[in-house]
Amino acid sequence: MKNLCKASILVILTLMYFVSCTGKKNSSSSVKNTELKIGTSQEFETLNPLIMTMSQTTYMYHMTGRKLVHMDPDTKWYPQLAKEIPTIENGKAKFITVGGKKKIIAEWEILENAKWGDGVPVTCHDFAMARTIALSPNVSIADKESYDMIEKIDIDSKNPKKCSFTYKKARWDFNRHGTFYPVPKHLEDEPFKKFNAQKEGYEKNSTYSKAPTNPGLYNGPYLISEIKLSDHVTFIPNPHFYGEKPKIQKVIIKLIPNTAALEANLRSGTVDMISTLGLSFDQAVEFDKKINAEKLPYLVTFTKGITYEHIDFNLDHPFFKDGRVRRAMIQALDRESLTKSLFEGKQESAIHFVSPKDPWFTRDEKYVIGAKFSKRDAEKLLAEAGWKKGEDGYLYKDNKKFSVNFGTTAGNKIRELVQVYLQDQWKQVGIEVNIKNEPARVFFGETTKKRKFDLAMYAWVSSPENIPRSTFHSTSIPSTKNGYSGQNQPGWNNPKVDKLIEDLEIEFDSKKRTDLAWELQKVYTEEAPVIPLYYRSDVSAVPPNLKNYRPSGHQFHETGKIEEWTLE
Amino acid sequence: MSTYILRRLIQTVLVIIILSYVCFYIMTLMPGDPVELMIQSNPKITSADVERLRALYGLDQPAYKRYGTWVNTILGGDLGYSRTYRVPVEELMIPRLKNTFILSLLSLLLSLAIALPLGIYSALNPGGRFDSIVNFFAFSGISIPSFWMALMLIIVFAVQLGVLPAGGTETVGLNSENFFNFVKDRGTYLILPILSLSVQQIGSFIRYARSAMMETLRNDYIRTAKAKGLERKVIIWRHAFRNALIPLITILALSFSGLFSGALLTETVFAYQGVGKLVYDSIIANDYNVAMISFIISVSMVLLMNLLADILYGFADPRITFS
Repeated sequence: MKNLCKASILVILTLMYFVSCTGKKNSSSSVKNTELKIGTSQEFETLNPLIMTMSQTTYMYHMTGRKLVHMDPDTKWYPQLAKEIPTIENGKAKFITVGGKKKIIAEWEILENAKWGDGVPVTCHDFAMARTIALSPNVSIADKESYDMIEKIDIDSKNPKKCSFTYKKARWDFNRHGTFYPVPKHLEDEPFKKFNAQKEGYEKNSTYSKAPTNPGLYNGPYLISEIKLSDHVTFIPNPHFYGEKPKIQKVIIKLIPNTAALEANLRSGTVDMISTLGLSFDQAVEFDKKINAEKLPYLVTFTKGITYEHIDFNLDHPFFKDGRVRRAMIQALDRESLTKSLFEGKQESAIHFVSPKDPWFTRDEKYVIGAKFSKRDAEKLLAEAGWKKGEDGYLYKDNKKFSVNFGTTAGNKIRELVQVYLQDQWKQVGIEVNIKNEPARVFFGETTKKRKFDLAMYAWVSSPENIPRSTFHSTSIPSTKNGYSGQNQPGWNNPKVDKLIEDLEIEFDSKKRTDLAWELQKVYTEEAPVIPLYYRSDVSAVPPNLKNYRPSGHQFHETGKIEEWTLE
Repeated sequence: MSTYILRRLIQTVLVIIILSYVCFYIMTLMPGDPVELMIQSNPKITSADVERLRALYGLDQPAYKRYGTWVNTILGGDLGYSRTYRVPVEELMIPRLKNTFILSLLSLLLSLAIALPLGIYSALNPGGRFDSIVNFFAFSGISIPSFWMALMLIIVFAVQLGVLPAGGTETVGLNSENFFNFVKDRGTYLILPILSLSVQQIGSFIRYARSAMMETLRNDYIRTAKAKGLERKVIIWRHAFRNALIPLITILALSFSGLFSGALLTETVFAYQGVGKLVYDSIIANDYNVAMISFIISVSMVLLMNLLADILYGFADPRITFS
């Protein structure tokens, strides 16, 4: 008994010793440009750009890798590794006809001083290598189109920094190689040749997997000095970087999966900032209030994004086949007051699928039909469609009550709040909405994929000037035939929309292209296959002395210009 | 006894094989697959891409064929490849298993070191002031949700007092060659997770130890021992405690079987590099290779610890034979 008591006392004393050994930690962000620790709540994988799929990995890749072109926070494309972006207008690209098919050939030239982290120059061979690997049937690349759109790459025999890309199809966005990542031929050629015959052989044996801290894998402002999956990655400046030298001497990305713990880590100084892939929106709003109340040394940024939250109608549902019913359900919703009351105006209500950040956005009433809240108009449309109010206050038609199921991802606090808000507004016009939520895995893996819903609320991730083929084209309606691959979950089948999408892809005149995009917005708002709710904002928490930090709000993260960040 | 152990080991292997297939099959029944996750994060994926990726991953094959392929890979000495993290499974799991083992073992030892004396002392003085206080804390420990406890510990020790790190496994970039410094650094990061895990364990161990001792102390042989005039120390430790060990061995064996399973909530809140969250994520993301290896480890540990418990029963109570 005495021995056990002694052991307990010993354990407690050891704990007290460890506590006494540690002192209060100070946030290193106060020290000018020495170190920046960025907290995130999202997982990451190895940084092989050809096979990476996670947003956090892309966020980090933009710190270490550069491509031909990139998009800035104002949604403008600019050259990174390329000297300039070839266009028809500047004469660096031209149309050719081969076998009666219209194609494009473009001249690309890589910056003279662009080098990999081991000092080897970046050349067109590295782009050709990436394309060869990506097109291999044994490599599990998700987005093959970025590489497959190029028919061939001809490299100048005298200057490997110059090459011409021949594109299979004459598309106006041929030069927007935002997801065409080069890989160092001098490191990746050997594992590819050796292991390509095996399924997934290359990715298991690539230098990115076997020696991820090899400086030759990266050509961006930073190199990776340490990587621990599911924990942290440490970045140090790349001495061979072609551009402006990065100011911050060490950047650490630290994964803290629990968002409440992430905030506590920020406040305790374990991390200096929280990236746009960290806090949830509601948490950021609360933290912003705490900053003001407790005078905490942080700023919360809210950046308008491209992603938009919406509700899909299942257009095969008998109630939703009538366009008047769909429009009435939209007009019955006061989305302005929803965003004001739930998001304090920090997320904007949506009027269609194009974000205000997108050059194709329009508010013109000529193209945006019936988006305004009007309970009276909604009731009128429902009455025209044959729905009459019963004694219980709900609508009936042919003895059927207007009662539908409304699903989203269970456990998502914001979505669940929005659901209750909308349920109440629809009830006021006589529509009964039954909330039926499911875990994300079931909701996306079964319900929306197989279109087993009445109303489904979720978000569409997009990019500026994105042609919505995967979400609106009739060939993208998920079915057994296409392996449930499309994202046209409402089942919108409109030949006019299909034609507009196809025309958009090949329209080279910018003005005409915008007209087509506006026309698409008009058909969308007229037919209302989807209820647009709000455009999401990206949130981050940063120290006030971090300068030149501009969150992008789209998939091309702000780390694309991390060399400009400075702690003053 | 060796025949008994051999027979039990053969049974263990058979159970692992059967359960591994059942687990694999159930995972294939879950909605979604790894390609599904790619589709959600990349709207540019075409139906041709989906078909190609499903064929590449073997997802177009029936479950029994996929299981056969997995078993063949395992028997070839390769634990497989994580499709989530894009690294071999052993590279991903071994460091985490070590971390989880350290966290779970230390927390278990701390819990036992505190709970056993308290439980036994309470049983010796039932209904007294000390017993009431111990019971109050034991029930409090059992009732407090571990994630709430973890967050409170972070707020007090990391945010308010600033004496301990809020989360992590070790100081980033610390490449200390001094063993003492290394242990000190790791120890600093372990204090809060251990405390968080132990609070609940201490509560339940106190209750088990107390009730097992009280049950034993009511037996006739204890009364006989007292009537014979044996020393109190001998009665407690040789007669009462030894007989109270049987239920305690069962509880301990089950606790030890969880040493490699991980503590999902604690590891997640403290961003501790353990296996608990990895297993959870691998199941959610359909990362079959990682999930299956974790499953095999968990099942093996439960079965082996039960076998160990059965053997220990024999030592604790000579009336138990293995014939």
